[in-house]
Amino acid sequence: MTLKRYSLLDLTKIFIQYSKLNLKSMLEYKLDRSLLAFAIFCREMVAVVVIILILSRFLHIRGWDLNEMLFLYSFLFLSYSLFVFLFSGIRDFDQMVYSGGLDRFLTRPIGIMFQIVASRVDYPATLGHGLVGVILFLKTSAAVGIEWTFQNVVYYIIALVSGSLIQAALFMFSACASFWAFKTENLRNLVFFNARRIAGYPITFYPAMIQKLLIFIVPFTFVNYFPTLFFLRKEESAMFWEGYIYLTPVVAIVLLAAVYQLWRFGMRNYSSTGNEAG
Amino acid sequence: MRAYLEFAKRSFQNNLVYRLDYIAGVLNAIVMIFVNISIWKAVNEDGDSIESIQLQILVTYIVLSFLMQLIYTMDEYIVENKVRSGTISMDLLKPINFRLYLFSMHLGTLAFRIIMQFIPAFIVSAYIFRILPVFSLQMFFYFLLSAIMGYLILYNLNYIVWMSTFWFYWSFSLVTIKDALIMVLSGALVPLWFMPTWLTDIIAFTPFGYIFSTPILIYLGMMPESDIFDNLTRQFVWIVILFLVGKGLWLMAKNKLVIQGG
Repeated sequence: MTLKRYSLLDLTKIFIQYSKLNLKSMLEYKLDRSLLAFAIFCREMVAVVVIILILSRFLHIRGWDLNEMLFLYSFLFLSYSLFVFLFSGIRDFDQMVYSGGLDRFLTRPIGIMFQIVASRVDYPATLGHGLVGVILFLKTSAAVGIEWTFQNVVYYIIALVSGSLIQAALFMFSACASFWAFKTENLRNLVFFNARRIAGYPITFYPAMIQKLLIFIVPFTFVNYFPTLFFLRKEESAMFWEGYIYLTPVVAIVLLAAVYQLWRFGMRNYSSTGNEAG
Repeated sequence: MRAYLEFAKRSFQNNLVYRLDYIAGVLNAIVMIFVNISIWKAVNEDGDSIESIQLQILVTYIVLSFLMQLIYTMDEYIVENKVRSGTISMDLLKPINFRLYLFSMHLGTLAFRIIMQFIPAFIVSAYIFRILPVFSLQMFFYFLLSAIMGYLILYNLNYIVWMSTFWFYWSFSLVTIKDALIMVLSGALVPLWFMPTWLTDIIAFTPFGYIFSTPILIYLGMMPESDIFDNLTRQFVWIVILFLVGKGLWLMAKNKLVIQGG
């Protein structure tokens, strides 16, 4: 299980090979997968349509207009899209353990994490979420008055990548629980998707307790709210420590470092669930 | 009749097994209610766009809507699982009416959701969010009648989507698209009275507005008494139309299944 024998070039080659296989298996069911991507697109658009309906009636809520609200939301879609593109394996890790699929990875002479990440790409979810995100971004990024200077572009890319890493880390926490045979899928979905829903709106809409929850416990504010404040410089920025808007990559790294320790500890204690069924 | 009661009871008991799922359902609903009310409160603070009595009406609307969504949630994949696993052929051999069997299973789940989910969620949210009481006792009976018909409209609409599984094999995509349409067009998330007229004009030609919106408007006393009878009739007509479409699809599906030869 030594990763060292492989150079970065080798790993990239294997990664591309995996991606090709994934793409092929998706193209096998072209119509079905496109319909699925469209369905996910529709499901995610519901929240967007709700914002449009409310804002076309009331024009602004607490100083946020339609474009600003949708720009805030676009971070969630784009970072989630990136997350399922890169880390579907982590999202579905629970199933991998329960079906015994993980054992197959253990027998191969290459890093487990690499295999988990590389072996799965959920293209329909990537496309469905990504499409909503791209549409919102194109519609609003100019309207909210962002100048795409070099600095801003760099900040944006770092924020987006860090945002998807934060979500990957959150999923990894629940994945680690399955090493000790705790099934946390329901709990994880409850926490993750509700936090995501709450984060869809400016957190100043909510009581202080919820704001703290989304900053310190399930740090979704660093995925979309604080990056948005960086670009929009709303008056309400004064309510929070100004360092927060630069903290997104730090939060991502800290979370990943913490969860990686837990992961290594879990991996050492892992005992298989038995044969792979079906 | 006895057999179907037994099916309903079975499905009630089946639901009891998934304890975490039903707690998750209640918590989900409460979080969603909370998020939506926070948004409407934020809208309200932005000047005098909504008066306070209107805010209370809105809060009540949101709470009722999400609680109804909670108990109207159906297992959308019963038919799909039966078709894919092939057990549907066994069900068809039994001397029971398959459609009634399916319906009684859903009624069992409905009873479960009312007792185990609706009542606790209602008490919690009535206490936290201070919803308005029903407009009058008479309106309460109209509300009950209308809510039952709302459920039947949704059931028959869902049934049409479930039948698609005979042709498409996987129904997840269609179910998801249908859910998205219902969420937006039924007024479950944004009350119809806030929507632009061109949209409500379209919705008037669909069954969507009669699922959640009609019963809630009756509860709030926002529907003039003279309109109530008219709306209840429309609900009934939609049930009949959707039922007939579903029945037609079922007959076609059954034939198709016979051709496949099991």
